[in-house]
Amino acid sequence: MKPVKILIIIALTALCILFVSPYLGLTVEDPAIAHHILTQLRLPRVLFAFIAGAGLALCGMVFQAMFHNPLATPFTLGVASGASLGAAIYVYLGFSFTLLGLDGGVLAAFLGALIAISFVYSISRYQNGFSPETLLLTGVAISFFFSSLILFTQYLSNLTDSFQILRWLMGSLTTVGYQDILQLLPFVSICVAAILWLTRELNLLMAGDDIALSRGVSVQKIRYSLFFVTSLCVGAIVALCGPIGFIGMMVPHICRLLIGSDHRWLAPASLLFGGSFLIICDTISRLIIAPAEIPVGVITTLLGGPFFLWLLIKSRSKGT
Amino acid sequence: MTTLLDVSNLSVQLANKVLLSSLSFQLDQGDYLCVLGPNGAGKSTLLKALMGIIQTKEGVISLNQQSLSELSQKELARQVSYVPQAHGQQLNFSVINFIKMARYAYHSAFSDWSSDDQQALDHAASVTNTEDFLHRQMETLSGGEAQRVMIAAALCQQTPLLLLDEPTSFLDPHHQVEVHQLIQNLNQQHNISIIEVSHDLNHAAQHSKHILALKQGKNIWHGPSSELLETSRLQALYEQQFVFTTHPQTGAVVALPSELKIGDEQ
Repeated sequence: MKPVKILIIIALTALCILFVSPYLGLTVEDPAIAHHILTQLRLPRVLFAFIAGAGLALCGMVFQAMFHNPLATPFTLGVASGASLGAAIYVYLGFSFTLLGLDGGVLAAFLGALIAISFVYSISRYQNGFSPETLLLTGVAISFFFSSLILFTQYLSNLTDSFQILRWLMGSLTTVGYQDILQLLPFVSICVAAILWLTRELNLLMAGDDIALSRGVSVQKIRYSLFFVTSLCVGAIVALCGPIGFIGMMVPHICRLLIGSDHRWLAPASLLFGGSFLIICDTISRLIIAPAEIPVGVITTLLGGPFFLWLLIKSRSKGT
Repeated sequence: MTTLLDVSNLSVQLANKVLLSSLSFQLDQGDYLCVLGPNGAGKSTLLKALMGIIQTKEGVISLNQQSLSELSQKELARQVSYVPQAHGQQLNFSVINFIKMARYAYHSAFSDWSSDDQQALDHAASVTNTEDFLHRQMETLSGGEAQRVMIAAALCQQTPLLLLDEPTSFLDPHHQVEVHQLIQNLNQQHNISIIEVSHDLNHAAQHSKHILALKQGKNIWHGPSSELLETSRLQALYEQQFVFTTHPQTGAVVALPSELKIGDEQ
């Protein structure tokens, strides 16, 4: 099948999911309350899930291409832990400020993400140039380091803050409103625009740094820009709904199997698929033990793990 | 003949390790230079320096009288193309898309595929004889096919200078001959200047025009390839004895590693 057809199918499916999912859930007799639940609670939540899922999937795709490794994502490289630490410290210190209309938590998470990625990058550069493998291992080490700092922050916090940090670390879209969408949208939009602009460079980067350079890509410059925009995106998402894992690893991988690895098709496919996927996970998380909810991060991981393994085995047996 | 490439006094250092020291040589338009030397002599480093990938500590590299450091990465990619050591089969692209990607340096973000691009693609595919599998996936190619595709992609860049890093080291004898013939054809019929890193002495002596012998980052010999196969020269380069014989069919001199260690003989 042609990539364009596959992309249209993915887009139509995404549209269906976007329209249907707000109507799923417990029904209320009173039409006024039902209307309020639909427009004020579920709709913003679904929209937010779409934007966050799309952002996470695209960032995952970028990392996989840049490090030539399907395991490289903002999460495995410690960027998400950096963002989490920034946000956790923000909660612990009890600050509450806004800068240029942006929530302080988002800025703290963005700074955390940026510090993490600079850390990963400079350490791996210090050790003879940089190989993608070194970068990946550095990321894993830093991820552990930041995770224990988060635990430490949590230990120091009082019970309320500690619980807040814990719930938020599980990744949840429970309390999302239209305000959060406005907070998230600019970050994700910048990131999406930059990535869609750089799809040809991503193709060449995936072929290897030497090939990319010899074809005329300013690898260093592109790498820095991509680090910056993905830090923005992941920072904002993590600050607003916690680290929701697995989407960035799984969605681009599935999309690659569906549509191939040409980023001109893969990027829009991952965007739509990632958005839809997080909506589905979130819908499951609020339906499965309704009226109670499960944190969506738990669902993505529970769904993601086995599905990923299944795909891996399937593609192996097909490949040989 | 006009000078295409002028390397003068080039030194490269990485983390206190000297990779190239005071290397100077020139390459004429249409030349075919084989870079020989033991492992770790700086052969790949030289290619990287010529691609503008690696920071040079000292020295000037000029291409057509223009310093390499003044060129942007895209401008450089219109002058120099590169075929890495075989790894084409690991790439998850269709052959045609991979070759098309080589036109990057001629495009801006949203420019369309032009007739010039198509011409470059058709030409590259026909010269390398890759037309028949343009629509296959890179992963399904054999080693020889993959290497021809890598060369096709470099050709599609339409550069006067082509760099090759051990283009035949992972190929069986049949495909080695095939790729060697292709490279020679590019040099002779299409007037592309070539710098090839190789470990194959006899191939270098027979097919290339000049040899650059590197050892510990230094230029120890630069001369016509017909003069390469001499005992003292090869011994100095590889610290290994060689014996010489002639090819029964072509009569060309062939070097073989000797069974004797240095100092054993006579």
